[in-house]
Amino acid sequence: MKEFTFTELGKRVGQLLVSLFLLLVVTFVIGRVLPTDPVGAIVGELADPATYAAMRQRLGLDLPLYQQFFVYLGSLLQGDLGTAILTGNPVLLDLGRAFPATLELATLAIILSTAIGVPLGMTAAFFRDSWFDQFARVISLIGHSIPVFWFGIVGLVIFYATLQWVGGPGRIDIYLEGLVEPRTGLLLIDSLLAGDTEVFWNAVNHVILPACILAYSAMAYITRMTRSFTLEQLNQDYVIAARAKGASNWRIVTGHLLPNIAVQLVTVLAISYGGLLEGAVVTEVVFSWPGIGQYMTNALMIGDMNAVVAGTLIIGLIFMILNFISDLAYIVLDPRTREVTV
Amino acid sequence: MKHISRRLMAGAALIAMIAVAPGAYAATPNDQLIIGTSLAQVLSLDPQQGTEVKTQEILANTYDRLIAFNPETSVLHGELAESWDIDQTGITFHLRDAKFASGNPVTAADAVFSLVRLFKMDQSAAAGLKTFGFNADNAETLITAVDDKTLRVEFADPVIPDALLYRLANGVGSVVDSVEVLKHVVNSDYGNEWLRTNTAGSGPFVLNRWSPNEIVLLEANPNFWGTAPSMARVVFRHVPESQAARLMLERGDIDIANALTAPDVRFFEGTEGFNIDQAKTGGFYALAMNAGREPLDNPKVREIIAAYGIDFAGIAETIVGPYGRVRNVPVPEDREGAIANPDWSFRPEEAKRLLAEAGYPDGFSLTIKTIAQPPRVDMATAIQANLAEIGITASVIQGNGADIVAQHRARDFDLLIPQTSAADPTALGSLDNFTNNPDNSLEANNAGNFVWRSDWDIPALNDLRVAANAELDATKRAAMVTQLQEEFVASSPGVFPMFERFEPVVISARVQSYDAHPWGLTRLETVTKGDAN
Repeated sequence: MKEFTFTELGKRVGQLLVSLFLLLVVTFVIGRVLPTDPVGAIVGELADPATYAAMRQRLGLDLPLYQQFFVYLGSLLQGDLGTAILTGNPVLLDLGRAFPATLELATLAIILSTAIGVPLGMTAAFFRDSWFDQFARVISLIGHSIPVFWFGIVGLVIFYATLQWVGGPGRIDIYLEGLVEPRTGLLLIDSLLAGDTEVFWNAVNHVILPACILAYSAMAYITRMTRSFTLEQLNQDYVIAARAKGASNWRIVTGHLLPNIAVQLVTVLAISYGGLLEGAVVTEVVFSWPGIGQYMTNALMIGDMNAVVAGTLIIGLIFMILNFISDLAYIVLDPRTREVTV
Repeated sequence: MKHISRRLMAGAALIAMIAVAPGAYAATPNDQLIIGTSLAQVLSLDPQQGTEVKTQEILANTYDRLIAFNPETSVLHGELAESWDIDQTGITFHLRDAKFASGNPVTAADAVFSLVRLFKMDQSAAAGLKTFGFNADNAETLITAVDDKTLRVEFADPVIPDALLYRLANGVGSVVDSVEVLKHVVNSDYGNEWLRTNTAGSGPFVLNRWSPNEIVLLEANPNFWGTAPSMARVVFRHVPESQAARLMLERGDIDIANALTAPDVRFFEGTEGFNIDQAKTGGFYALAMNAGREPLDNPKVREIIAAYGIDFAGIAETIVGPYGRVRNVPVPEDREGAIANPDWSFRPEEAKRLLAEAGYPDGFSLTIKTIAQPPRVDMATAIQANLAEIGITASVIQGNGADIVAQHRARDFDLLIPQTSAADPTALGSLDNFTNNPDNSLEANNAGNFVWRSDWDIPALNDLRVAANAELDATKRAAMVTQLQEEFVASSPGVFPMFERFEPVVISARVQSYDAHPWGLTRLETVTKGDAN
């Protein structure tokens, strides 16, 4: 077991590094080949060609592409992802500020979508073709097919503007800005650490709607997949045997079904979480949420390729780590994996 | 079941707590002004660098300029300058007693430092004053401090003094605290790297925090020389989605929204509790035609497209709305000396006949490039449909600002929809973008110039503009301005205005004395707020 873990771990880390390098090459080349103009964003539209050329040189954009890449790679290996045009800050610092906002939103969304999607999917499968199954299918179809943008606006109109149940766009009301010292960047955690319940509840009020909107689209996918996994297992002999022995439905679900679909579910949840972390762009724009999606969108609009490449790398890394964790989870959750590979 | 009931009850309690959480619905405080805006293009707070319109309101309130002008009447008044004297060779400014937010006194040396660094940095921000003959080489000679409170600006070229004053009233004329900025100079950057994200001015507010694409927070400057502002804080909040901003304004979570789409602005027309202020920028939504490319190198073809091929009235009605009005002469309708609009309207049959006469009976194909932002992208689609009716197949190419501007600068387009700003609130200020092209050769590489980008060679018009800008006799100048407009309209322009450009701002009725400035330089020290209903 020990030998397997180290060998496999080394192999996986190697694969991860190669994948990251390839991602870096592709993103960098696309970023530089695109007819985008970061120089204009800095010196302005009406600048003289001489000023323009000088700034181009200062940014190193006058060098051949391969040289630009090696300069970038050299800096990257020293932990320098470049400077963002938008903020003038090191990109790593910007991403460190934007990422917690997205992490907070996506984590709440994955918790909500899992808590609802898995039971919904399993119950729908259990009562296949019943009214409940139809209901679950319609709910997940809606979540899957209607754009998040539309849901966001409708959610704001109903729950923020009309019912006034939740806070509006932004992470917190303006008059509470700056009252809590950012320690983790996660406002819910920071406000609790500071013992400021007013800020905490205000932040909950603001995050709940975008988190629910995001969760709904993820839930649709999780419900569909859970239903499908469960249906597959319900016809297996071990379930029929358990029923014949008089096991209760609850016992069949918790003792037999859940352990057997856990491996597939972990993969689905990892993909969903990764998708939420990088796919929250639209939600972030609608809800003025200062996360990584909005940061990268704006960077792309002004041709700030340092920010775009770094953001892509970070998101790629997150995906790969989640994938890696889900692979490790296989070993823990599926005894057959251990038996075969030992 | 017992466990489930407990969990259900706990969940219900949590939802109830969220619903009644304290402080969630408090109206914005009376001493804080909250502006919902788009901060996406706010890239620099350095006044000698940042030219984007949403940046200007931040600069206008953290810095003072020597002079400013009334947004309604365009009458000049002093800000840091208590008075000024104009003579044959230049202008002498007499500065008031004022302090920067740092506590340092404002001196003529600070004003010299600020204006000279504008030309030394030589970015887009300097373009407006460079057309008056100032540059990095002569700025230190022409702009000097006579003493601590007296600044002398010599004319570089013969100019109309008021035109120069208006250009100094722009955001680029902001006076920075040289003592503070000099502490942060790195690699001879004139303090630019530091000043991009910090402020060092003497305006009514100081920058407390700037989180790009999230928030700009200003606080009242205790050292401000004028009457202390009523607002303790001014917050610019990034709300890029127009409908979200509309809902926030309705709910009272923001007091002002200045980045709404046309339908959302229209929603507030006649709505009780809100006022709409339309700042007339003096600029235009224009159509650039590449006069260096076939078939647009044929003046007849350009004339057919401009005068017969576009439904300006329809586009104004359905797309532009509160963002502007039809205008094909490069001087806004209200401006002194403006001539009447020509009879350019959508006449497809006439256009097809004229195209056939010009040698294009089967029409031709071209592209329309535009930044993917409303209303320009919608204008492009409408123009595409109009041109299809006269036999021209146009494909619309959208891109971000960086892409499209780069292609515009490189003369890489057929048709393109830029927007222009006025260099000053006079007829000549608006005409500048459309009649200025001293050297059309490729070698001149005058990529900052809109007319050069269209490869439209206009030596006679350019000479007339130069002469008008140097003409001190107002009557003679007025005649030249009329002639410039008439000759422009008759010249099958390579770049022409389609719509006069307004910036609509929706303001809660709680807010008093907010007067939107045509260039975004709205000062907020006199703004007050009443109680929420």
